[in-house]
Amino acid sequence: MSESRWLATGNFFTSYKTEQRIFLTHIDRLVFICFLAVLFAWPLIIEVGNKYMLVIDSILIAIIAVYGLNLLTGFAGLISIGHAAFVGVGAYTLATFARTLGGDHILLTHYWPLMIIVAGLVGAVIGGIVGLPSLRLKHLYLVIATLSFQMIFQWFINFSKFYDQGQTIAIGRVFWFTGKVGRRDHYFFWYYVILVIVVILGFAVRNLLRSKHGRCLVAVRDNDRAADAMGMHPGFTKVYAFALAGFFAGVAGALHAYLWRGVGFESFLLHHSISYLAMAIVGGLGTLVGALVGPAAILILELQVESLAEFVGHYFTAVGDVATAFRPLSFGLVIVLFLMFEPRGIANWWRMVRSYFKLWPFRY
Amino acid sequence: MSYFFQLVVSGIVVGSIYALSALGFVLIYKSSRVLNIAHGQIIAAGAFITYALTVFVGIHIVLSFLLSMVITFFLAMSVERVFLRRLIGEPIISVIMVTIGLMSIIDGIIYMTPFGAENFSFPEFLPKTPISFMGISMSWTQMVGVLITFTMIGAFTWFFKASTVGISMRAVSDDQFASMSIGISVPKVFGLAWATAGLSAAAAGGIIGNITGLNFYVLHSFGIIVFPVVIVGGLDSIFGAIVAGIIMGLIQQFASGYLDGHWGLYGTADVLPYIILLIILLFKPHGLFGIHEIERV
Repeated sequence: MSESRWLATGNFFTSYKTEQRIFLTHIDRLVFICFLAVLFAWPLIIEVGNKYMLVIDSILIAIIAVYGLNLLTGFAGLISIGHAAFVGVGAYTLATFARTLGGDHILLTHYWPLMIIVAGLVGAVIGGIVGLPSLRLKHLYLVIATLSFQMIFQWFINFSKFYDQGQTIAIGRVFWFTGKVGRRDHYFFWYYVILVIVVILGFAVRNLLRSKHGRCLVAVRDNDRAADAMGMHPGFTKVYAFALAGFFAGVAGALHAYLWRGVGFESFLLHHSISYLAMAIVGGLGTLVGALVGPAAILILELQVESLAEFVGHYFTAVGDVATAFRPLSFGLVIVLFLMFEPRGIANWWRMVRSYFKLWPFRY
Repeated sequence: MSYFFQLVVSGIVVGSIYALSALGFVLIYKSSRVLNIAHGQIIAAGAFITYALTVFVGIHIVLSFLLSMVITFFLAMSVERVFLRRLIGEPIISVIMVTIGLMSIIDGIIYMTPFGAENFSFPEFLPKTPISFMGISMSWTQMVGVLITFTMIGAFTWFFKASTVGISMRAVSDDQFASMSIGISVPKVFGLAWATAGLSAAAAGGIIGNITGLNFYVLHSFGIIVFPVVIVGGLDSIFGAIVAGIIMGLIQQFASGYLDGHWGLYGTADVLPYIILLIILLFKPHGLFGIHEIERV
């Protein structure tokens, strides 16, 4: 086995332990390390404008949120159309601190890693509460529970004086060891922070799915009665899945608040929930790779659609608002087409490419 | 006291429209177990088609109301044929996600028309003076709307109780394999369920459009309020949808009549249905009239 750990042309596992390894071959690990090195090194070499850096940072934040949604929808089989509200819970946790202590309070600017974790925990608690009906119900009903949470969240922020009726609540610039992170380095700094969190949480998700705490999600999704017979409590497992999703969403929300240096109501609406769902579906539900690829694909699509709408808008001024029309249209089409023709998402293409190279020069 | 009765009357008006909106949703759920998230968009489409036929084409409003019902009937049927037919046999979770995608698509299409951003109102065709009775007033539009709603609900109830097609739809909802074995075409029944849902949605849209004016946001929110209504009524009960619709309408009217402005609360009518929904899901998940066979975890 040891000599073949560089190249694997098939499955030669002799124990479950070897099958559960994160990296099956040395080449896998090497490729991963190189990929990470590129991710960490490229901003030092290539100069990019703040505009593009913001897009890249947003993709990374969306990846964190989609980790959670993917655990919930992909692995536990519970649809959520309130994920943006969970992200909003994380962001508004910071806003609560900003409103009570002031946006430049030392807790927000110096102890921001702590704040990110706190936001994640608050998200987890709220997620668990929303998931409580799953103690009694099967997944179909939980769609409606998440939808109603989305509506309650929107109402709560919109009519609450404390949160300024959903207007932007400013959050100060954070401090690093070198001092205050200035305007020029802002997106650059957060790129590294978010990247590190993405990598840590990615490993966390991967390890979770190797352990019984993650496999129970899949077991309950596939057959809840069998899972019950195996000694898992399906209801608690689902609540736990909601809490996990809430944690990831909360972390993403806190990062969103720091990145945009403020929390506004309009970033956590129903159509954002749908774009998170689109990200998870397009990337591939139930795969970790999907959570990484989906957000990138959808946000790049969004940029393309925006420029297309601008282009079309010049010619068809008589038609209604093309720019607002193209966004939902393209998202909906992407969701429907992927579900109809490639339900396993882009991750499946990645799998096919990989297996092609793994077996090369043979076909199968 | 007359304020109270005024609220009751407008609650019943709004509630009966909720019931009509929920009817189509229940129809689809009953036959195919699919939660149609895009129902509000179909309602909006029905309303906009009615308006377009009345104002842009120039047909009489009653005729265009009926015509839009027919158009939406075939529209919903083709939606089922194109998108959902090939998903029969797939896990129900992906079918629901397809309806979420459909919701987005129809949103996009409506934003492309002038209806996406602007407000329209139907031309008046009923007497403007409201009906007054013991200090309680009700506009003619509301009156006619409620009458149409109850007629439609009655027609649908008859359809399911007595007609062969309706009975076969109920059979499919009960057991697909058994109904296949006695010669019911299950895909056809699914198509028909979507089509009748489209028809009732168009009727609801037309009535809402006449009462509140045409605003995409309002019509769309009627599609979302359907969820609390059907959950409270029990997902697979038409009667439950009617009762819960009226309950929901009353609750909303009382909330906006008595709660708003006190204790710093505003817009409670928009949120109370969802809070009730969550509570009902926790404590009585099969709703008031739902069949108790819902599988527990």
